[in-house]
Amino acid sequence: MFRLAIDIGGTFTDVVAETPAGMSSVKVLTTPHAPEQGALDGVERLLDALSLSYGDITAVIHGTTLATNALIERRGAKTAFVTTAGFRDVLEMRYEKRFDQYALDIQMPEPLVPRPLRFGLNERVLADGSVLVAPQDEDIEQLAERLKAENIEAVALGFLHSYRNASHEIYVAEKLRTLLGDAVTICQSAEVAGEIREYERFSTVCANAYVRPVMARYLQQLQAQLQDRGFGGSLLMMLSGGGLTTLEQAVRFPIRLLESGPAGGVALAAHVAREVGSRKTLSLDIGGTTAKICFIENGLPKTTRRFEVARAWRDVKGSGLPVRIPTVELVEIGAGGGSIASIDALGRLKVGPKSAGSDPGPAAYGRGGEDATITDSHLTVGNISADGFAGGMITLAPDRAPAAIAKHVQEPMGIESVELAAAGIIELADETMANAARVHGVELGLDVASFDLLVSGGGGALHAARIAEKLGIRRIIVPQNAGVGSAVGFLRSPVAFESVISIISRLDDIDTQALTERIHQQLESVRSIVEKAVQSDRITTAIKAELRYQGQGLELFLDLPEGGEFAAGLSELETRFQARYEAMVGFKLKNIPIELVSVSVSAREALQPKPATDQQQNRTSEEIQTRNIYDLKAKQFLTYSVAERTALDDSIFDGPAVVSEAQTTTLVRPDWTVHRSALGHLVLERSVA
Amino acid sequence: MSGQLDIVAQNVLWNRLISVCEEQANALMRAAFGAIVREAGDLSAGVFDAHGDMLAQAVTGTPGHVNTMAASVRAMLEIVPLESLGVGDALVTNDPWLGAGHVFDFVVVTPAFLNGKIVGYLASTSHIVDVGGRGWSAESSSVFEEGVVIPVMHLRRGTVLNDDMLRIVTTNSRVPHEAQGDILSLLACNDTGVARLLDLMGEYELSDLTEVADFIFERSALGTKKALSRAPQGIYENVMLLDGYDAPIELHAKMVIGEGRIDVDLTGSSPAVNRGINCPLNYSAAYAAFGIRALLTPDIPNNQASLNAIRVVSEPGLVVSAERPSPVTARHVIGQALPDLMLGCLEQALPGEVLAESSGALWTLSLSGAGRRQFTSLNVALGGMGARPSLDGLSTTAFPSGVGAVPVEAAEVAAPLIYHSKEFAPDTGGAGTYRGGLAQRMEVGSSIGEALKLSAAAFERLTTGPAGRQGGSNGAEGRVSITDGTVIRDKGIYEIPAGERLILQTPGGGGFGDPAKRDRAAVAQDLSHGLITADAAKTIYQSDDTNS
Repeated sequence: MFRLAIDIGGTFTDVVAETPAGMSSVKVLTTPHAPEQGALDGVERLLDALSLSYGDITAVIHGTTLATNALIERRGAKTAFVTTAGFRDVLEMRYEKRFDQYALDIQMPEPLVPRPLRFGLNERVLADGSVLVAPQDEDIEQLAERLKAENIEAVALGFLHSYRNASHEIYVAEKLRTLLGDAVTICQSAEVAGEIREYERFSTVCANAYVRPVMARYLQQLQAQLQDRGFGGSLLMMLSGGGLTTLEQAVRFPIRLLESGPAGGVALAAHVAREVGSRKTLSLDIGGTTAKICFIENGLPKTTRRFEVARAWRDVKGSGLPVRIPTVELVEIGAGGGSIASIDALGRLKVGPKSAGSDPGPAAYGRGGEDATITDSHLTVGNISADGFAGGMITLAPDRAPAAIAKHVQEPMGIESVELAAAGIIELADETMANAARVHGVELGLDVASFDLLVSGGGGALHAARIAEKLGIRRIIVPQNAGVGSAVGFLRSPVAFESVISIISRLDDIDTQALTERIHQQLESVRSIVEKAVQSDRITTAIKAELRYQGQGLELFLDLPEGGEFAAGLSELETRFQARYEAMVGFKLKNIPIELVSVSVSAREALQPKPATDQQQNRTSEEIQTRNIYDLKAKQFLTYSVAERTALDDSIFDGPAVVSEAQTTTLVRPDWTVHRSALGHLVLERSVA
Repeated sequence: MSGQLDIVAQNVLWNRLISVCEEQANALMRAAFGAIVREAGDLSAGVFDAHGDMLAQAVTGTPGHVNTMAASVRAMLEIVPLESLGVGDALVTNDPWLGAGHVFDFVVVTPAFLNGKIVGYLASTSHIVDVGGRGWSAESSSVFEEGVVIPVMHLRRGTVLNDDMLRIVTTNSRVPHEAQGDILSLLACNDTGVARLLDLMGEYELSDLTEVADFIFERSALGTKKALSRAPQGIYENVMLLDGYDAPIELHAKMVIGEGRIDVDLTGSSPAVNRGINCPLNYSAAYAAFGIRALLTPDIPNNQASLNAIRVVSEPGLVVSAERPSPVTARHVIGQALPDLMLGCLEQALPGEVLAESSGALWTLSLSGAGRRQFTSLNVALGGMGARPSLDGLSTTAFPSGVGAVPVEAAEVAAPLIYHSKEFAPDTGGAGTYRGGLAQRMEVGSSIGEALKLSAAAFERLTTGPAGRQGGSNGAEGRVSITDGTVIRDKGIYEIPAGERLILQTPGGGGFGDPAKRDRAAVAQDLSHGLITADAAKTIYQSDDTNS
């Protein structure tokens, strides 16, 4: 009996099985037109290799970028948007501001629902939840006729102030369901994202309605095919927020599946952090095009409810569609192995965000790429060697890298040597990533220097030590199998569900009894969702209050106790908020009322016990080899020892050294040490102040 | 001096300085009180060298704070002798002529000390919700009525906060605690900036910022010079007519494009008026420079060298160069018209490469209770942006300001108002090969059946719509009325009687190029989307296919 994870990405589908003997995986090409085919093909191959059958699988955990792709490529259902009369352009007016001050040629994304399919219905709820105008059956019937005439496949409903009083959305949805039949999908904004701010809520419900028919068909198809082949376990879906949910919930709220891949990566990092006892962890994943950072505290990734999908203009923040869903809070930086180094109009060295990707790729790939990339720089300074790159899948042409750097960077800038130029490119990339971590840390009110750095992706371990130095970080973890990615993370994720109630009321105005009742109802509802997949004694629940000074935008989250102590917890919120605010901002404010913005409730499976550890494969040390690596500070080559990862054990190995393995290279800079922990993870520690 | 290695280090340091400002600005934005301030990002943060020259500035922040901040740090250092500054000290002012053009904007400057020597300064500016006086309207006849003005003074001396100064502000403000919170946020964010600056100097073992400053200024000056050379040298003049408070105002510009620099003289514009729409020269210069830089040097970061290339002067005492004690609360009405005035000059230098006129000044929607329940509500109503040389203008999007609207739900939660509708207004975008951005029509009333008071101070372009270019038509002019039949034509105070509603229609953006040459599919789509009427499709765009 074992569990299986399937991660369907844009290019590859990964299937991973966790059996008592360990992890096994297979990678197949994604089949975009019928993604379940590629997935099932991968599962079959893995089962064959392990001599196991579908009946042995207890659970399949699935994550996919299909919903994201449907939004980016605009391949969703023909969707109508029904809103309060007079407000059908909210979806297109957006924030009514430019996301770039100086670029005069910016473009906004086309709304998912074009103007002719956005309908105003005569109804109105006021800010206090009271009804000004109730919807009339006659209007709804007329609307249904229009929707039929347009052959609408999905209807998104979004009325003003429905986060406060959803009765009109519920009433109209029921009516339309009767009038339009089951073939038409209907989604309500208060159910999908019950939060104040009409544009974000409407955008979220439209995105959900837009992808739901496609995703529902696909997921039901996958389940049916798995069952046909003898699978009798449960099918769980990976959510953006880092938890798992049932198929039934995934079909209702496919918008919550958007970032499942990256969430899986972070889940794996969080798992390793728990394994090595790191309570404060900065996860950094450096891939081919971008790097992603995420802060993890006490083994739990930071999450947010603000997310943006399908950016329409040069991938610039603000040019996408906002969706309000629980999401692992990742900051993406345009710097990865393929990022191109260039000279800008001011004669400054610049790295990224343009990337050579994998095709044609860095100059050293010898596939026609001419640009100088970060990978070329690593090769030029000696951080990586030409053979054995990416597990031997790519052979590097060592002379092309320095030639590209000489042409595009060294000569135009008049730098004395090509190694110095290459080292400069790497330094600038390190700086960019360290800056992003620093700025994000400030936003979250965290002291970055007190964190451990946990790296993954092909480039993580190459950049880790220098980035750590820049951030004042003293410990680095390079997990075992850092390259296997998201699918393993799925297997390390708890079943979880979260829901939010918008409140916006001064703490001293709150009707404690009514709020307690409302929250406990919501708690039961999220709990019952998780109970479909987890035994009730293994479920933990949490309540988080979002607070701010009235009129201010700095919102802080505080945990609230459950059950009988809830009311008492509520009364302590003010003092706790003041203390947190002071710790974060440096002072607190007197005489300003504190507002409860929202309460989020979540239920999750208790964190899994440690899995079986991989077998140690201690090899006897071979004779120590060395390699020369150019050092930016010393302005000359330094001698690094070279060790195979498998040759390391728990004894301390001093830098400068490089630790090599199939998927990546770890750079242990001078003043750092490295050892391999009992679980197989590399741990680097800074040996001097 | 500059060794090879330094080139890399200089690059890294430049990036880091910008990042220091970003951190400061982000922290400020989130801590700001008042929804409109947060939406607006009506704030700024910058780092300066030991001479008070600006090295870097956060890219967030409104254009109005860009140049004003660069100038105000110097001005403040001229008033407070350098020798009198010690570790922990911070200076403050909200003087419109030293800061950002009206009493709402506070500037805080904090020196950074290393080994007992000042190595740089951190500065930040943000808009405080209320500092007394008449509040937000154009009704004052002098700056003395517009709120309390704090001359340049210490906000903190060492570790001791200037409580006297804070008490003066809080005593005069209608929202004292918020005002204090916002001022303390400026102080706190500068402290963070100082710490970051010293960290990076430690990491690179720098004893001063001279070398990195030289690098930044040299590269920026060269880059700016190169970018400006795109525009042919010469003298270009432009005139623009605004509605004014109750009589038309003329804005006049003479732009001299020279070798690597642009000089603008606003002399010839109308004299200052006795209502609060006058603009101090610092704020006029900030917006004029923004218009030029957005077109010609959008990729060059803000710093002393890139700003030095553009000089804006004027004879004093005009509506664009108002002097104390002229009232200046709604100075953005004039200030935000200046980018279009500049673009009109540049259109002569670079015909066909310049976007059409936009709706210009933000329409500040300032409503307060005139019945039993007291409240004030600030929002903005955005018009259309001008059509670009190869793209339609953005609908209901501010230009040149970067401010967005407060969501209807948030506005209704904050004040007893009902927004009855908020939709695109058809045929308001100026016709053209590329259409101007659409305006919007809004209806707002009380939710408790009481009378409302409205300040119409910022409702500009009610007479003439923003001009089109290259054969494009003007955008529609704005219209404001009350359902009792009142038509609003000036910038005064109006009462909306109980039971009545305010109807606003903002101006649309100007069109670009001959409408008859507009892509037929685009005309058909505009028609099917209801953005133009069948009549306009036929008569203006000469489309035969008006059935869809």
